[in-house]
Amino acid sequence: MTTATKNSEDVMHSPREVRKIEREHERKVARDERAERKRARKSGFANVANPRKSTLLTIVCSIFAIYCLFPFLYLIINATKTQADFTSTFGLGFGKTFALWDNIKTVFTYQDGIFGRWFLNTIFYVVIGAGGATLLAIMGGYALAKFRFPGRKAIFAIIIGAISVPGIALAVPQFLLFAKLGITNTPWAMIIPSLVSPFGLYLMWIFSEQAVPTELLEAARVDGAGEMRTFFTVSLPLLAPGIVTCALFTIVATWNNYFLPLIMLKDADWYPLTIGLNQWKDQASTAGGQAIQNLVITGSLITIIPLVVAFLLLQKYWQSGLAAGAVKE
Amino acid sequence: MAAHRFTRVLASAVALATLVSMAACGNSNSGSKGDADKAELVFWGWDSGNSMKQLIADFEKDNPGITVKFNSTGTASNTQTALTNAIAAGKGAPDVVMLEDPTVTQFAVTNDLVDLSAYGADKEADKFASGPWSKLQYNNKPYAMPIDSGPEMLFYNKAVFDKAGVDGEKIKTWDDYYEAAKKVRKTGAYMTNNSGSAMEYQPFTAQAWQAGAHPWKVDGEKITIDMTNDEGMKKYIDFQQKLIDEDLVNTQISNWSDEWNRSLNDGSLASLVIGGWMPINLMNGAPDQKGNWRVTQLPQWNEGDEVSAEDGGSALAITSQSKNQAAAYKFIQYMTLGNGAKTMSETGTFPALKSILNSDSFTDPNTESNKKTNEFFGGQNVNKILAEAAKRPVNEFQYLPYNAFAQTEFGDDISPAYGKKKTLKEAFTEYGKKLTEHGTQQGYDVTNNG
Amino acid sequence: MWPFAAVFMFVFIIPVLYAIYISFFQNRMVGGNRFVGFANYARLFQDPLFWSSVGRVALFTVVQVPIMLGLAALMALALDSMKLHGMKFFRISSFLPYAVPAVVSTLIWAFMYGTKYGLVGSLNSWLGTHINVLSPDVLLAAIGNINTWEYTGYNMLIFYSALSTIPHSLYEAASIDGASEWQIVKSIKLPELKGSLAITVIFSIIGSFQLFNEPSIMQNMVPGNVITSYYTPNMYAYSLSFSGGQSNYAAALAIVMAIITMAIAYAVQLRSMKEQMK
Repeated sequence: MTTATKNSEDVMHSPREVRKIEREHERKVARDERAERKRARKSGFANVANPRKSTLLTIVCSIFAIYCLFPFLYLIINATKTQADFTSTFGLGFGKTFALWDNIKTVFTYQDGIFGRWFLNTIFYVVIGAGGATLLAIMGGYALAKFRFPGRKAIFAIIIGAISVPGIALAVPQFLLFAKLGITNTPWAMIIPSLVSPFGLYLMWIFSEQAVPTELLEAARVDGAGEMRTFFTVSLPLLAPGIVTCALFTIVATWNNYFLPLIMLKDADWYPLTIGLNQWKDQASTAGGQAIQNLVITGSLITIIPLVVAFLLLQKYWQSGLAAGAVKE
Repeated sequence: MAAHRFTRVLASAVALATLVSMAACGNSNSGSKGDADKAELVFWGWDSGNSMKQLIADFEKDNPGITVKFNSTGTASNTQTALTNAIAAGKGAPDVVMLEDPTVTQFAVTNDLVDLSAYGADKEADKFASGPWSKLQYNNKPYAMPIDSGPEMLFYNKAVFDKAGVDGEKIKTWDDYYEAAKKVRKTGAYMTNNSGSAMEYQPFTAQAWQAGAHPWKVDGEKITIDMTNDEGMKKYIDFQQKLIDEDLVNTQISNWSDEWNRSLNDGSLASLVIGGWMPINLMNGAPDQKGNWRVTQLPQWNEGDEVSAEDGGSALAITSQSKNQAAAYKFIQYMTLGNGAKTMSETGTFPALKSILNSDSFTDPNTESNKKTNEFFGGQNVNKILAEAAKRPVNEFQYLPYNAFAQTEFGDDISPAYGKKKTLKEAFTEYGKKLTEHGTQQGYDVTNNG
Repeated sequence: MWPFAAVFMFVFIIPVLYAIYISFFQNRMVGGNRFVGFANYARLFQDPLFWSSVGRVALFTVVQVPIMLGLAALMALALDSMKLHGMKFFRISSFLPYAVPAVVSTLIWAFMYGTKYGLVGSLNSWLGTHINVLSPDVLLAAIGNINTWEYTGYNMLIFYSALSTIPHSLYEAASIDGASEWQIVKSIKLPELKGSLAITVIFSIIGSFQLFNEPSIMQNMVPGNVITSYYTPNMYAYSLSFSGGQSNYAAALAIVMAIITMAIAYAVQLRSMKEQMK
């Protein structure tokens, strides 16, 4: 870690001058730069100095891509198998019968179609929980970035501290607190903890700091606009990519949340997909229970599809959102 | 004293948390009998036969004033965790809860379950097989009633046995079993699996119990632990050690794993000693071996004995938090003694009720479900063989009041012996030490005799 | 900001304070609840199971985090070099694993690891080898692989996004000065990654110290009980509270783990992160 930092500093020494000149230059052409970046984002970043494509590099990266995609292949292949084929045939080969459509149908009709209910629950938790978390993170991050007040550093330390506490250990006190308020086994037990996303807050904090120039806010204030109006008319549009990124992270976190609902919810009607699937998986290891791994696998596949689609559709946004979150020394 | 002041400051700072903790402390016995004919019951359990909806609908029809809300908790351990949490919170526990037999004592000790003799459950003792019934008693009072049972049986794959030249029907004693295991191993298959994981805790208690072992004795707040000097434990440990040393048992596969199912399905595991509820799991998990599996009585430690052992089994109990205890008992009666018990036995649950075990319909080879099962078992009348086992006597046995800990710890301590890192005796000595330490920490007076 | 603070108080601060509070008590089956001062902490410091679990996640962190972040950085540089055919495909394919719930990804990998029926088993029979990735010596690496699979793409994107903010005029200027491709990487791109490295390192360290989902889901799939109930500190806390009836001790464990994690995270990276915050 330390050596890496040192190295890069050493190297920095020689091109520092190049950089200095560049900075002055940069300010002048800042506007052109932005236009160029916008154009570049659309067409992909062309490396001006060396636009040639390398087949070798592509092959090397393909290995990594195979590594990433391989488990998906396994999931898709096994979703086409019947339970009998699943236990008796090779994992990466197809079974004797192609049962994908049957499996999908069974997933949605098994136990009176409870899977559909879990699916809707998950969407509900994501809309309210992740939506709320994003909203709170925007407001919190924006406030931290744009209003000076004492103790900002302390707040940062507290947030990092809170993430460091093992979630498992928080679960018991959280459960007791919620039980006292009588909200365990209700959607609230799932939603309220989802409303807090420390990473989202961090992201919005950094993003607000960079994307919304303070001068712009001051100008608006001079014009007599209230804080609220300034926020909605000036800041919000600038924050859009950050918001999408933040939303994606909270959506993933809520969609994949497993431990919290496991403890909080006992009513299968309120389960999210992860708990429901795990319960189906466990059915195989219960005395007298029926093994339905084919449904677990197919259900898993159905569970990840919405997220994959969301990622694909929103690519453009989260990329620039993350960009801002990650920059600057 | 400084520490004390510190907590006081802390406590007042966190007023809300303190409030919660006060609720969490005292064992709120705020439950009440309630109206026996009018109630909204909450019921936690798992629904392995997928029959709960029907069962509840039938019950509600017969008892128009009572509704039952079933919350599927998935597995036994999840149910137990959930109940522990609800008890800690002082509220939120269901009226009726399904528990695995060994965990019942644990909740009875802390007064979180209702002593069912108040409702006359103690008088029903003779109606149940002795195995499951005896596991649900604490201080000689029933704290739960069995919905199913699991007399241990020897399940074997006849095709594999034939290849090895073993006749499964002739395995009467554990010595016979050992000789058979040697022959089976020569064909390349294993007689069975055991990895000493927490999943093998219940088979351990069952088989040690059958050997007459008393690894622990519980007498109120006094517990005596004796893992390695007890005669029954010695028998059990020596036998298992022999299987491990001679590579007669596959120590790489634990029960209920994916590999387990696949090995049962491809014939590389030749037999299982497990509860009588296994047929339906075998039919689901090992479809390729249809027609090859057989079931026979549990091998005995002494020739000529007919001692059974209980593996698994679950029961229904009423929580102390329940405000509808009278109505809850009605529901339990229906599930364990009434029509509900019959419905469940028809969907794959192995009954604990003698009247069902003895009934003609239970062993009738012509019913739809029996036909299917018997076909899988090469034409054996499976239920008849199982019912016979359920009638056999069982040795007296108790579970520790901290059974959940005992089960988890079993896997941690015993598995190294199956991994050949130490002897089984050493592993059990360590296990006894851990159980002693834990018991002492929980305030029990524990003596460890080795 | 206040709505966030309110909910944050409710779901984080109060439970943490409550955990601290109960860590000074002991609740026994016989004798009930009593104040024990620092006894739980004293016991924890002498608990070999606890320290072995801490050692395990520390080892995991030291090995897995650099590998994962190294891979992520290399992949980000490759993507940013614009030399790839089908760049968009690579970008999205490496990020996709992040969308898979831990429950599902662990199930898939654990199955592929199987020596008898899994992919490893098939490999062994083709090559005549006896590789067993589930044996105790290498199991931690096998779990590390699952984590690497899940999170490399996520970290890669953070790096990649940082790289994509570098103004192109900078490259132009550098190449006019005759800088080679490698020099550009070394003197422009790598320094740019420094900032994002801070955040990825800190979150990765916290993540691996809280290792729980993967080993606990694999517990019943790995033969021989190799994954003990105290395999990681989080698993130990879980089994203490939920099967051991020792929530108070578990609370003490959680507090100590939080302090250890924070201390390490702080020592490694917090400084550079704080600079960012100015």
